[in-house]
Amino acid sequence: MAGIELRNINKVYGNRFHALHDLNFDIRDGEFMVFVGPSGCGKSTALRMIAGLESISSGELRIGDRVVNHIDPKDRDIAMVFQSYALYPHKTVRENIAFPLQMARLPTTEIDSRVNEAARILELTALLDRKPALLSGGQRQRVAMGRAIVRKPAAFLMDEPLSNLDAKLRVQMRGEIASLQRKLNVTTIYVTHDQVEAMTMGDRVAVMKGGVLQQVDTPQNLYNRPENVFVAAFIGSPSMNLYEAVLNGRTLTLGSNSFEIPDRVFEYRPSLNGASNRQVIVGFRPEHMNDAAIRPSSAEISAPVTLVEALGSESLVHLNIDAAWVDAGDPDAVADIGDERAAVARFSPKSTVRAGDIARIAVDAEELHFFEPDTRTSIW
Amino acid sequence: MHKARHLNVSGILINGAALVLVLSYALPYMYLLMTSIKPAADVQQIPPSFFPAVLSFENFREVLRSSTLPKAFVNSLTVAVLTTALSLAVAVPAAYVATQYRRRITTLFLLFALVTRMVPSVSLGVPLFQLLKSLGLLDTVPGLVLAHTSAAVPLALLLMSAFFEGMPRELEEAARMDGCTRFQAFRKIVLPVMTGGIAVTALFTFITSWNEFLYALLLTSEATKTAPIVIAEYNSVYGLAWGAMTAAAVLYSLPVIVVTLALQKQIVGGLTFGAVKG
Ligand SMILES: Nc1ncnc2c1ncn2[C@@H]1O[C@H](COP(=O)(O)OP(=O)(O)OP(=O)(O)O)[C@@H](O)[C@H]1O
Ligand SMILES: [Mg+2]
Repeated sequence: MAGIELRNINKVYGNRFHALHDLNFDIRDGEFMVFVGPSGCGKSTALRMIAGLESISSGELRIGDRVVNHIDPKDRDIAMVFQSYALYPHKTVRENIAFPLQMARLPTTEIDSRVNEAARILELTALLDRKPALLSGGQRQRVAMGRAIVRKPAAFLMDEPLSNLDAKLRVQMRGEIASLQRKLNVTTIYVTHDQVEAMTMGDRVAVMKGGVLQQVDTPQNLYNRPENVFVAAFIGSPSMNLYEAVLNGRTLTLGSNSFEIPDRVFEYRPSLNGASNRQVIVGFRPEHMNDAAIRPSSAEISAPVTLVEALGSESLVHLNIDAAWVDAGDPDAVADIGDERAAVARFSPKSTVRAGDIARIAVDAEELHFFEPDTRTSIW
Repeated sequence: MHKARHLNVSGILINGAALVLVLSYALPYMYLLMTSIKPAADVQQIPPSFFPAVLSFENFREVLRSSTLPKAFVNSLTVAVLTTALSLAVAVPAAYVATQYRRRITTLFLLFALVTRMVPSVSLGVPLFQLLKSLGLLDTVPGLVLAHTSAAVPLALLLMSAFFEGMPRELEEAARMDGCTRFQAFRKIVLPVMTGGIAVTALFTFITSWNEFLYALLLTSEATKTAPIVIAEYNSVYGLAWGAMTAAAVLYSLPVIVVTLALQKQIVGGLTFGAVKG
C-alpha cells in the first residue's frame, strides 16, 4: 500500500500534442480517487503515466516514497483494470487470475489459495475453468477485478471499467467495486467520464478539462464549493444554470428579473460586499429552484416555460431566462432534450406549470454561486 | 411473402455464382486428377475424355519408381520447412514491432516490404544467382532457402502485421502490468494469442516455397532440384510424358491439401479474429 504523488507532471505526445499541463496532487494511502472530465481531457493519459505504460515528459511521479518515473510497469507494484478488460483469451478464468502470481513466482499452493479466495469474493468460483469468450460482460469485468486484487498491489488503476456494461449492471458493479475497495483498503485511481460514478464512488474527485486539473476535492465540496464555472456545470445533473448578471449592493439583476441576496451569501463570499454595478456570472442548480406557487420565497423570478419533462418523482421544467447564457465549456454537454441555453428547474411533481405558461420561480438565494466573468473562477 | 420470394431469387443467384466460381477452380484440378488415373496409353487419346475408361495407377507407379521424383520431394519439403521457419522467425517479431510501436519509420518499413513484392521475380533472379554464386551457395539447400525466404518474408510480414493490427494493445499492456517484461509479454501472451494468425502465415509461406518455380529453376541444377522442376521436366526429358506428369502433379499437390485441412480450425480462427475481444 502506498500513496501516489504527482509533481508538475506534463505529457507531450510524439506528435507534439501537449496532453497534460503541470498536474499536481497527492493521492493518500488507501484513498479512492476518481479522475473525471469530458472525453479527451487526459484522464487515461494520466492513469497510463502512473501505470508506466506512457512515458512522463516532465515532472516527478512518486509511488510510496520511490520516484518511479523510469521504473518499468512490472516493478511499480500496481494492478490495472482496463476498459476492454484485456483478459487473456487463451487462458481460463483461473489461469487469468493466477497469471500475475505466476509472474511473481509465488509457490503453487499460495497461488491456488489466493485465486480461490479472489474467486470467492467475486463470485467466480463456478466459472474458474471457463475461457473468457464464454463469459458475460459482467463476469468478464469480475475476472479483470480478480486479476487485479489477487496480487495485493500497492495501488489499483481502473480506466472506465464499467463503461461496457449495461446501465443496471453498472450501478450494481459501482457499489461492489466501491465496497471491495473499502474492504481491501488499497489506494485506487478510477477513471470515468460519468460524474455520477465519480460522485458516488470517490473519496475525492479530480476534475480535469483539456489536460488541466480544475479541482481536486471531496464530492460534497465539489458540489457545494466549485472553484470555477466548469466544475460548477460539470458536477450535478442536470447541470447548474449559469447566466450573466449584475450585482448592485444586495440586489441581483438577472435579465428583466431582480431580487435581494440574503446576508448569508455575503458572509460566505465577503468579496461581494459593497458591489456597485458589478458584473458577475451567477449559478443556480435545478434543485434550488421551485414552483413559487407551491413554495413561495423572497427571491422570485418569472420566466416562460418552454418544456416540462414529467419524471414522476419530479418535473424538469425548462425556462427561457432573458439573461445572457454562459457556456461552461464542457464539450460533452449536449442538451439531450430542448435548447441547451434553457435553464432547467427541478419542480415538485405537484406543480401544475405547463409549456407556454409564464412561471413564477422561487430561487433558493442562499445557494447561489458567483463567478468572475473574465477568469470564470469562484468569487469568495 | 413478397420479401421471402425476393430473398430466394437472390439466394439462387448467389449460390449459382459461387458454384461457377468453385467449378472454375475445381475443374482443371479434377481434369488433372482424372488424367493421372488413366492408363498411360489413354492419356493422349483424341478426342480426349474427361473420365478414365479404365482405372489405372500405372502413372503413379512409374513416377514413384524413378529416383528423381522422390528425391525432389525430399528437397522441396526440406526447403519449404526451413523457409517457413526462417520466414516466421524474421517476420513475426518484425511485424509485431512495426505495428505495436508505430513510428514513421516502421510504416515506411512495411511499405517497403510491399514494394519488394511488386518487383517481378525474374528481375531478382539474376542478381540472386550472382549473389549465391559468390557465396558458394548455388545448388544447395541453404541457398534456395535464402532465396525463398527473401520472397516469402514480405508476404509473411504483411499477413502478420494485419493480424497484429487486429490484436488489442491492452493485452500486451495487461501482461506488462501483471509483471512481464516486454519480451515475456510477447512470448507468454501475444504469441499464444496469435497462434491462428501464425498458422495461416506459416501455411502461406510454406505454399510460397513449395510452389516456387523460377528461383528453383535458376538456382539449382542437380543436387537440390525441387519437385516443380522435375515435374516440368517430364515434358522435355522423356518427350511428352503427360501421364507421369499428371501423377507427379497430383502427388505434389497432396501435402498442401492435407496441411490446409489439418490447419482448418486455426485458419478460420486466425481469419475471424473477434475471439480475442469477445
Ligand atoms: N498516443 C497519442 N498520441 C497523440 N495524442 C494522443 C495519444 N493518446 C491520446 N492523445 C490525445 O491526448 C488527449 C487525451 O487523451 P486521453 O485518452 O487521455 O483522454 P481521456 O480523458 O481518457 O478521454 P476519454 O474519456 O475519451 O477516454 C486527447 O486529445 C487525445 O487525442
Ligand atoms: Mg480514456
